[in-house]
Amino acid sequence: MSKFLLFLGCTIPTKQYSYEISVRNVLPKLGVELVDFPESGCCGFPLKGLNKKAWIYMSARLLSLASKKGLPILALCNGCDTSLRKIKDLLMHDKDLREEMAKLLSNEGVKLDINAKVYHTLEVLHDFVGVERIKSLVQRPLKGIKVASYPGCHMLRPSDIPRPEDPVEPRKYDSVIKALGAEVGYYPDKGGCCGATLLPYSAKHALLIVASKLKTIKEYGFSAVSTSCPYCMEMIDAKQDAARSEVGDEDISIPVFYLTQLVGIAMGLKPKELGLNLNVSPVEGVLDRLGVSLYE
Amino acid sequence: MDSRILNEVRELVKPHSPQYCYQCAKCTSACTATKVIPEYKPHLIVALTRLGSVKGLMESGIIWACTECWKCSEYCPQDVAPVEVVIALKNLSIAMGYKPPEDLKVMAKNVVELGYVSPPIEVLSKEFEMYGREALSLPELVKPYVSEGTPTNLKKLLGGVYE
Repeated sequence: MSKFLLFLGCTIPTKQYSYEISVRNVLPKLGVELVDFPESGCCGFPLKGLNKKAWIYMSARLLSLASKKGLPILALCNGCDTSLRKIKDLLMHDKDLREEMAKLLSNEGVKLDINAKVYHTLEVLHDFVGVERIKSLVQRPLKGIKVASYPGCHMLRPSDIPRPEDPVEPRKYDSVIKALGAEVGYYPDKGGCCGATLLPYSAKHALLIVASKLKTIKEYGFSAVSTSCPYCMEMIDAKQDAARSEVGDEDISIPVFYLTQLVGIAMGLKPKELGLNLNVSPVEGVLDRLGVSLYE
Repeated sequence: MDSRILNEVRELVKPHSPQYCYQCAKCTSACTATKVIPEYKPHLIVALTRLGSVKGLMESGIIWACTECWKCSEYCPQDVAPVEVVIALKNLSIAMGYKPPEDLKVMAKNVVELGYVSPPIEVLSKEFEMYGREALSLPELVKPYVSEGTPTNLKKLLGGVYE
């Protein structure tokens, strides 16, 4: 049995509840033990533009708290995953920075320790649980559903630190989807950006990015999209209406699922156990085709 | 040419090397923001940074258009990491008194006071019901800071940016 510290980050425990619900209900059924990490909080990634040291400090703090517990971190959010790995790498190679952070952390009684291992949801599913094990637990194959995987920027880049997926040719995501009985496929710019970080500067332009991504995915014949990042979800699931009116294209409408939700549907879990009633996009279409009622 | 800005940026983007940019513009051809905001051009931002001529970038606020997708950094043959140059410029602009987008200030304030970028909110379900953590049987979200040292450190690092 693999055991992980469940690191929720910011967006998931304050807003993107369906990711947390599906992770808490699906992963233990796959033999993954989750240990709550209530003293975690923000990884600092959203603060990097304001002050890079604040970012480094917040991630150094998290790595140290996790190292003390002696458990690997399961980062659900792409931003958190990148943040922890990037800061770990920076600190590993910069003695002065280590000393500076150690001093700050000592103010709160924490000893700097960056040894904690960091894993993303996709790695836990693909590398720890494994595709064969997932396949063996499928009770309701996602037959006839063509799913576009949407890894999101920070699952892939920057690539000068270890990443959960191949940064150039992401494959793990699609192999998990295939194990569920769904179809996968190519579309241009699969590793592209959802535009979330552009929101505070210009919501209009961020929506143009969402519109163009979803339009491409539909043009390539997909019937659903899947992501494992709460920021991507926030953009491509919750902002479809806004993107549609921004560009005046009625065709921008497609069901979007967290990967853990798709795994849960295939394993026969009830939609409410996966938080599917909280998805904003029209997920009912896919559920109907599988003979599942959203309200069962 | 004023090299002070370049030196400050180099310090902030270690171990990357903005001084080696030869203006091939691969970053701009890969850039997510450029595709929707054509006046945002990472290779020009790096060029202006090397010249020390960044006042316009800070005054206009265009540096905040970066989506931080890190594609520029992947495409760069010189390990310039334009995205990190832009992050450094954002930091420097704040140190020089320019204002960040309002939403970022709110996020920073929330991280200091609550430990998260926002308080937990109620969301609308497909049955048109509002759900918060409790109604969804999720554990209560506690303030993560175990000591006052954390917000104190953060406040010191962030300065008065969110006031």
